[in-house]
Amino acid sequence: MKGHLLLPVVGLVVLVVCVIFYFNQSTNKNNSRDEVSSLIFETPDFYNNKLINENTLGEFYVVNFFASWCKPCLLEHPLLMEMKKKGVKIIGINFRDDEENFKEWINEHGNPFEYILRDDGTIAYEMGLIGVPETFFIINKMTQKKIQGPLFYEDVEKYL
Amino acid sequence: MKMSKSICKLIILFLIIHISVISFAGVNELSDYYKTIRCLVCEGQSIQESDTEFAINLKEQIQKKYSSGISIEEINQELIKIYGEEISFKPPKNHILLWGAPLVVLIIIFIFIRNKIKFFKRV
Repeated sequence: MKGHLLLPVVGLVVLVVCVIFYFNQSTNKNNSRDEVSSLIFETPDFYNNKLINENTLGEFYVVNFFASWCKPCLLEHPLLMEMKKKGVKIIGINFRDDEENFKEWINEHGNPFEYILRDDGTIAYEMGLIGVPETFFIINKMTQKKIQGPLFYEDVEKYL
Repeated sequence: MKMSKSICKLIILFLIIHISVISFAGVNELSDYYKTIRCLVCEGQSIQESDTEFAINLKEQIQKKYSSGISIEEINQELIKIYGEEISFKPPKNHILLWGAPLVVLIIIFIFIRNKIKFFKRV
């Protein structure tokens, strides 16, 4: 390479490497949001008023945020019912909802959840929720996959 | 007797004004802070302007933490930990590379042009 080009080209390459390295590092900083909120295990189930038994849950489970006022939640509801039939354990978190409306909604559409927790927004905040519905696939208390918006068949195909 | 009564009244009045000024300052500080937090559902708006469930909940959670004595700085750090840096409209000042890179590029261009001129002068 000609001498007059060497210094600027080397400078540019070093800069690009630094930028890639830096952005890789800064995206890795946010992995703490992958941990499931401990509040899930400190909030009693709505129906039996008992805390979640972590031993019966197993390593893999699903956490689904829903609400009776949420129309897209109805879209994914049949898939959740199907997942329950196949033995997938789902923790339902009822996000900022009226108690009567929520009970009516469950009675009308069915209960696909192993446990249902009512949340005033604190669990949602800790889990980094943006809106409902939102679903977290958890293995060993760590989020492996997060789906914002309703679930589609392709998202849960391997569990059905 | 009358004198001490009026002093008492004055003290009570002063306390009421003081407390309301403090709480008003707190409300002001919070609403200023809300303006720096991005609504992730309706990007471009802050949670102060937004009426989405996400923004309402975030405001409530921040208000709760603030009332329990947690400082805005600590709340901000927690928010960034949960939602990532994109939650804040104010980028952290430690992005040396972000601010420094254009300067480095300028220096590289300068060196390149200088070398090019030297090369053509030699030819």
